[in-house]
Amino acid sequence: MAAATIDAPFEVYRFDPAKDPSPRYQRYSLSLPPHTPVLTALLKIRAELDPSLTLRYSCRSAICGSCAMLVNSKSRLACQTQIGPEIARHGRIVVDPMRNLPVLRDLVTEMRPFWSNYRRIEPHLIVDPERPMPVDKPTTMTPEQVARFEETPRCIACAACYSACPAVEADPAFPGPMALAKLYRFVVDPRDAATKQRLVKIQPGGLWLCLRCHLCTEACPKGVRPSERIMDLKELALQAQGATEAGSRHALAFKDNIRERGILNELRLVRQTSGYGGILAQLPQGIRLVRKKPEIRKTPKEIQGREEVEKLYEILDPEEHS
Amino acid sequence: MRLAYYPGCVAQESGKELDLATRWVAKKVGIELVEFPNFSCCGSGFIDEANPTLNVALNARNLAIAEKAGLDVLTVCSTCQGMLALANSRYTEPKIRERVEGALAQIGMTYSGRTHVTHLLQVLTDEIGAEAIRRQVVRPLTGLKVGAFYGCHLLRPADRLRSESAEEPHSFEDLISALGATPVFYRGRVMCCGFPILFVKEPTANRIAARQIEDAKSHGADAMATPCPLCHISLDAYQNKAEHELGHALDMPVFHLPQLVGLALGATAEELGLPRHLVSTDSALRKIGGVAVPA
Ligand code: FES
Repeated sequence: MAAATIDAPFEVYRFDPAKDPSPRYQRYSLSLPPHTPVLTALLKIRAELDPSLTLRYSCRSAICGSCAMLVNSKSRLACQTQIGPEIARHGRIVVDPMRNLPVLRDLVTEMRPFWSNYRRIEPHLIVDPERPMPVDKPTTMTPEQVARFEETPRCIACAACYSACPAVEADPAFPGPMALAKLYRFVVDPRDAATKQRLVKIQPGGLWLCLRCHLCTEACPKGVRPSERIMDLKELALQAQGATEAGSRHALAFKDNIRERGILNELRLVRQTSGYGGILAQLPQGIRLVRKKPEIRKTPKEIQGREEVEKLYEILDPEEHS
Repeated sequence: MRLAYYPGCVAQESGKELDLATRWVAKKVGIELVEFPNFSCCGSGFIDEANPTLNVALNARNLAIAEKAGLDVLTVCSTCQGMLALANSRYTEPKIRERVEGALAQIGMTYSGRTHVTHLLQVLTDEIGAEAIRRQVVRPLTGLKVGAFYGCHLLRPADRLRSESAEEPHSFEDLISALGATPVFYRGRVMCCGFPILFVKEPTANRIAARQIEDAKSHGADAMATPCPLCHISLDAYQNKAEHELGHALDMPVFHLPQLVGLALGATAEELGLPRHLVSTDSALRKIGGVAVPA
């Protein structure tokens, strides 16, 4: 018995830069079972309605990572997204190419920016020539060491995270979630001899532009949780090198700031992060703000039980105390 | 309803208007705010970057204080909400729990990991209910088109925070409708405001804010509203910088969540601290009508 079908109105982004003056959306009406993957529907459109529709795919099984695109404006694998829930939520299926990558044609994007950011992090083991890896026997790792890169090897490099990332969108200096998650994988690999250099290099290399918005973790079809790996990297970078960048200075300054009163001292934070020069640079904006919000100038009252907070710092943040 | 009020740093300082509006609305809808002068900062995500275990401990201390009083915690900031809820999630990891429990013991505290943390938006829509709010409306915000701006940490990571559907949330829009205004749906409503890097690389942060404001505007929003005072800093206090990056004006009034509720429930602009905004809210007030525009 054939499965029940539902009406599936599609609006698909079409653009051939060689021919078209601007992109347009083309509508197709299909009737398909609700569990049909978006990719299958697009291939049906191409086979039966419009052979010119251009898209990239291979495995159809969420393994090769080539079919990432926007489905109703979310970065997803088309082969892993069923039409039923999309229709239920949006009444239609709007398909666009990924964001943050140039469009080559229709749903196919130029992947070079994504890959060159990946190469920037040197995604291979760097072995100490003094201590080469044994050739005659396997190297061993403890279960704890292995557990540290449980998630990252699942990455299929589909670039859904790259497409979803607002930092990538706003600043070319940011290498993107996937590259940083991969960097983490090498930083915690006990066989890698370049851990420290990697961390030193990535600090001015954009690590601190991550917004912690977790849009990459939401987009990732494989549970790599890039935003959390980036948080791990930030902690490791601070341990390796201390505060060398505006971002790391800000994180440490914030931590110190709260230690003093248990509550944020806003004005002091600006000085701690940016120095007196920073205050000067912020002056015109500061004057605007103080006119409306005069308490910025005041030092906030210490919380009750601040000594408890101090004690937590002493126990859990000892290096700062010495 | 009695809740442990966790205002967060900004609502006690530069974002004082959020505290004013929260108190006004709480009184109106019957939430008793129990205050704890010993609550500390939530770390705002920055302490999580520097020392995640310390971050869990600071928040576990806050949650333990509420637990001892037998109260759930009420936040009015997406970031505080996220950090406190994240602490509950991390506290279930045995390694972290052991260290944090040990540290809490040294200050004479214990924490079970079970204090419920809830944001004002959730209390208004889930506990009290949009319908009950609608019945209290005395000044419907008819004609005002409002773009909700959720703030990342209210939504993501959804599995850790046990938040509503992070991809397609609708509680805020439901509330906006209940107030008589028209919600505007736009992609930016679940995006980032740029605040976390405002003091790291300001122009980039400004461009991110500009992007979301422009998105709301191009979908017809007369105003935006946010449940997060850090988003408010990016969207309101630094809107001039966003305009500078963009090269043109935005003039987008941005309300704190309880300010919008308060307006519909009959508060004056002064009671809600509206004159403290950097971008004037007058254009929105005129649209609503029946509310005195501050001199
Ligand atoms: S086609 Fe291979 S991941 Fe979708």
